[in-house]
Amino acid sequence: MNTVIPDVALVDNSDERAPLVLVLDCSGSMQEENKIQLLNEGLAALAADLRADPIAARCGRVLVISFGGDANVEIMGDWTDAMDFKPPQLMAGGLTPLGAAMRCALDEVESQKSEMRTAGVSYKRPIVMLLSDGEPTDDWRQVAADCKSAESAHKVNIMAIGIGDKANKETLGHFSNKGALSLSGLKFKELFIWLSRSIRAVSRAPAGGKVQLNPVDSWAQLST
Amino acid sequence: MSLANGLDDMWRVFSASATGKRNLDAGAVGQDASHCVVTDELLVAVVCDGAGSAREGRAGAGFMARALAEQLARDVAADRDGPAEDRAQDGGRRELAIRRAIETVRSRLADLAASHELALHDYSCTLVGCVAAREGGCFFHVGDGFAIQQGPAGDTVLSRPENGEYADETYFVTDENWLEHLRFTALALPQRGAVIGLMSDGTAPFAVNRARSGFFRPFIDPITSFLHAATASNGNEALRSLLESPRACEISADDKTLLLAFVL
Repeated sequence: MNTVIPDVALVDNSDERAPLVLVLDCSGSMQEENKIQLLNEGLAALAADLRADPIAARCGRVLVISFGGDANVEIMGDWTDAMDFKPPQLMAGGLTPLGAAMRCALDEVESQKSEMRTAGVSYKRPIVMLLSDGEPTDDWRQVAADCKSAESAHKVNIMAIGIGDKANKETLGHFSNKGALSLSGLKFKELFIWLSRSIRAVSRAPAGGKVQLNPVDSWAQLST
Repeated sequence: MSLANGLDDMWRVFSASATGKRNLDAGAVGQDASHCVVTDELLVAVVCDGAGSAREGRAGAGFMARALAEQLARDVAADRDGPAEDRAQDGGRRELAIRRAIETVRSRLADLAASHELALHDYSCTLVGCVAAREGGCFFHVGDGFAIQQGPAGDTVLSRPENGEYADETYFVTDENWLEHLRFTALALPQRGAVIGLMSDGTAPFAVNRARSGFFRPFIDPITSFLHAATASNGNEALRSLLESPRACEISADDKTLLLAFVL
């Protein structure tokens, strides 16, 4: 008798998720120097690079939050698996409600974690990457303090990155215990490729293990 | 396993266990066990995973699966013989019967342990089971493993694993505080074409989908088609070779058990 069942897919569905929240400045100043367009191209590079890696494509979970306009914080679509991630087309204009955007990011991280826990899906520590070229126009101090304590409690890994000369690196530095980094020139693509490689590394790390991220010298301006 | 005496059977059950690579490499035997009793329209099925850390995990799983399935089949069948309006549509009554049956089997297992000068925790095992008939039923669950009911339209009812703080810690039906971890999930009315699956935690990574919301369809659908045309022994053998396949072993080094009950 035939004892081989044909066409059965045997796939490991149990790997841990690596959540990533992008908190992106879409205020008016992002129109200058074509920054918003470079940011959009960077997101496209991120999506393509994540998809190119089977493990990152399966494990990565991405959410984009934009802030700008009339003090608007917008969650651009739902959390999506990296393999299905289609970057939104961002437009620049208006204010810089950075505090509200980071509050939204912290809330989203916690509710996504709770959803995953309920479903029995395990996950790595989420990464929140904040990119801004200016100065917050809202009340940000309490949120920044909450970001730091969430980081200290190992709830999240926050990267605050300033774009260009007008970014207030001191303010951005309050959102992470690691301080802020500056994007060298407008190397958005290099930044997002680096981020994708970091997600790849996180996806492959054993449960509970520490992850060594790649050096940031491909995109960061280290001497300031 | 007894067969239905009606003109058409309601259930068709297949099951298999495979010893995982971790135990094979250690020269040990598989710690999983399953047992199923079908009486008329009543299905009682139990899957147990013996704790690798327990001295007699395999014996505990084997005893619990068989003794509990048989005990429950007797108790629930007796209850179903009563007047129709008394039947256990009343979920509370069914749950009470299940709890009592587990208590009975636990104390018999404790006696067995004592006769070998061992304790109940030397026979530690998890428990995932189901009682189902035309009028409904439920999953009952302590610890890890998965139970899934998939209706003909793809609708699902699940009982998910309960783990400790770390993924490799779970709860056992042999624990002192097992009642705190006993969970019930009511089933949808079993319809023709539905399938109920019970599995140990070694099988779940490839049998359950990524969202943990049901079977992984590219896994279960080909199995369902194959089993529809298979004899009982051929179907069980095919399931076992699937669970023993190199690819399945690559995904999980644990023992693997899968029990599938189809509603005809």
